[in-house]
Amino acid sequence: MLSNEIVESVIFRAIEALNAERALADRIVPTVDTGLFGTDATLDSLEFVSVITDVETTLNLEHGLEISLADDHAMSRPESPYTSVATLRDYITELADER
Amino acid sequence: MTAQQVSTYAGRIAVVTGTRTGLGKSLAEHLLANGAKVVGMSRGAPTISTPAYSHQRVDVGDDDQVRSAFILVGREHKRLDILINSAAVLTSIHALVMPAARAEEMVRTNFLGVFFTAREAAKLMRRQRYGRIVNIGSMASTLEPVGDSVYAATKAASMTLTGVLAKEFAGYGITVNTVAVSALDTEMLRKLPRERVDEVVASLLIARIATTEDVLNVVDFFVSPSSSYITAQTIFLGGVHG
Repeated sequence: MLSNEIVESVIFRAIEALNAERALADRIVPTVDTGLFGTDATLDSLEFVSVITDVETTLNLEHGLEISLADDHAMSRPESPYTSVATLRDYITELADER
Repeated sequence: MTAQQVSTYAGRIAVVTGTRTGLGKSLAEHLLANGAKVVGMSRGAPTISTPAYSHQRVDVGDDDQVRSAFILVGREHKRLDILINSAAVLTSIHALVMPAARAEEMVRTNFLGVFFTAREAAKLMRRQRYGRIVNIGSMASTLEPVGDSVYAATKAASMTLTGVLAKEFAGYGITVNTVAVSALDTEMLRKLPRERVDEVVASLLIARIATTEDVLNVVDFFVSPSSSYITAQTIFLGGVHG
């Protein structure tokens, strides 16, 4: 079972990886409130894709959690799991608990 | 084997689909002979036995199976350099009597299979910001032979897919290209009436059956590290016009 802290660290690492491509002044210091997708998003659409893919791959390869973060289930939820770090973390732990 | 081929493949991790028979098997053997480690994927049991080859029984048209297979590749090899999409099925029959199940199988394997495998491969390749994806296309996509309605359409769709994926993956150092094969002497071709094959071959600018080496030559070019500036391209064998 994955703790919230581990999941958050995986998401933070994926966001921090974006900083290599950003100007110093635009670098992101991720928190649980960092917006990922939607009106309050800190990321552009390509960065969002990168973060989702990185998080999914890291969970699959390094934590043995075989999940998909971009399936119909995620996309059809009334409240998007992609809104912020916190909502994504909660969605991942929910999927992990179902395993 | 040339020094160029060895430098292209030595130490590389490759996935080749459709490795049970035909061109896919030849491609896998070629990569192995030049020093790559190959994970073969096909619905059937493996037909290659060598330490550098591992096999996963996968229906490439099944998203869940493909996803799991590539996770295993990532866990075992930690990286992926090359994907060659060779798995394909062909039912050549007049559209008026084409069974729905055969049409759906071609769409799943020849088109969705290319998409699913490329998507999962790119997830691994982007981690190292390097990758080569080569799709095996067909002259049928432009010659549009009678009887090949769905097959030709799936191969045309896969060429369009090559272009879009090339755009989406370019920033990750991943190239996506297609080699469109003319008539090649494989099990698939032998299912077709000989007179139809002869007619198509006669219409080519270079009027002969393709050899496996003709295909490997183009695959070597696309896969070479020196081809980092070559993407979204389709090369037709035999002088077929794209």
